Amino acid sequence: MVDILNIENEINFLGGEVLLDINYWEPESLMDAVSILANRGDQVRALAGGTDLLVKMKKGPINWKGIVNLKGLTELKGFIFEGNTITIGALTQISALIENPLLNLHFPVLIDAARSLGTPQVRNLATIGGNLCNASPAADVALVLLMYEARLLIAGANRSRKVPVREFYVGPGQTVLQQGEILTAIEIDLPPLNSKGMFYKLGKRKSHEIALVNVAVLLTTNPGTMQIAKARIAVGSVASTQLRIKDAEDSLIDSVATLSAFIQAAELAKTAVNPIDDVRSTASYRKHMVGVLTKRALVEAWGGEL
Amino acid sequence: MPISLQINGETYEVNVPIKKTLLDVLRDDLALTGTKKGCDSGECGACTVLMDGKPVNSCIILAVDAVGKQISTIEGIGGIMELHPIQEALVAHGAIQCGYCTPGIVMSAKALLDSNPHPTESEVREGITGNLCRCTGYVKVVEAIMDVSRR
Repeated sequence: MVDILNIENEINFLGGEVLLDINYWEPESLMDAVSILANRGDQVRALAGGTDLLVKMKKGPINWKGIVNLKGLTELKGFIFEGNTITIGALTQISALIENPLLNLHFPVLIDAARSLGTPQVRNLATIGGNLCNASPAADVALVLLMYEARLLIAGANRSRKVPVREFYVGPGQTVLQQGEILTAIEIDLPPLNSKGMFYKLGKRKSHEIALVNVAVLLTTNPGTMQIAKARIAVGSVASTQLRIKDAEDSLIDSVATLSAFIQAAELAKTAVNPIDDVRSTASYRKHMVGVLTKRALVEAWGGEL
Repeated sequence: MPISLQINGETYEVNVPIKKTLLDVLRDDLALTGTKKGCDSGECGACTVLMDGKPVNSCIILAVDAVGKQISTIEGIGGIMELHPIQEALVAHGAIQCGYCTPGIVMSAKALLDSNPHPTESEVREGITGNLCRCTGYVKVVEAIMDVSRR
């Protein structure tokens, strides 16, 4: 373990500004990282891409005592395709998702969400694991992982565990991760054949936007029929955590794809959400747009003609 | 903490606080002030540098995190006596007003053209989405980058 610095509470005076420096570690193994995070209390932060962490650090006031830079854990980066499952290392950059041809082929909705995240500069830094652990209700990539029913591999000091994305969040910015636990990888199964998905992000700009509402859907049809075997509908920015809308999904199972079936599912989605007013939008507009975007996404996922 | 940074092909030894960003080290410690500080929160792209050839916001990277990476700044791209073709094109097209966003735009354009020498207009627009210009807009910037790509 490289314990690079231990100068708690050393004060530097720079241009009249008091800059309180902090501890810093660059562990070279996962277990070293876990043990630092487990032993140093909740005031030590893990650094992945840093696109959220650095902004929080600057906004202050912060009581962090140190930063654990995970960059040395190269095993948490990259892709493994095995059978029907792809495993993505938690430190894999968003831009690397976009550049991966197999992901483009099998998970186009994930790619759409990745392309909509931030800017090219941010996508070159931000990681898939960070997008999940930051637990923003507006996160784009994380929303699609909820829709694809991804499983999260979590390493801790005494045990490893696997948690479905839908059980990962506790509230805005809060996850089930315990002190000393690190998200290491994301597992996604290939969607069933005859599946097609869609991702919609509502914002005031075309890019560089935090979603006012985002929606990800996947429709699986019974081959050779107009019948829906399974529907998945995930919405973000409209509750304290991202949601799967079970009532709307169930309403479509075994039903024939018609515009009215999709409108009904969209209405159910609208009823299920509980958005707030904030600086980016209002609760009533968000609720309305959940209906609009869910319907639009379902129609598009079906193929656009009904 | 004493660190060694690789910037524009040169090695720089600096002693930096952990919380200091790459941007602040470039500007304050190394006098590489071509890289600008705008929003200081990863939004505006004025601080864009290339890290291992890819554009990133230097304001949301700890300097200590840049150790072991190849950093390119605007100073390594071209100078007053020998402008880079992207800079020449921006001048020729009048794609500059106050100029504050320009170094970042040059870096984004360079990264784009290095990986995709003949982009479509929409790829150019996508390539500079992380660089905000508050003076005028992007039409001339896009024209300039398209012009370079045709050379």
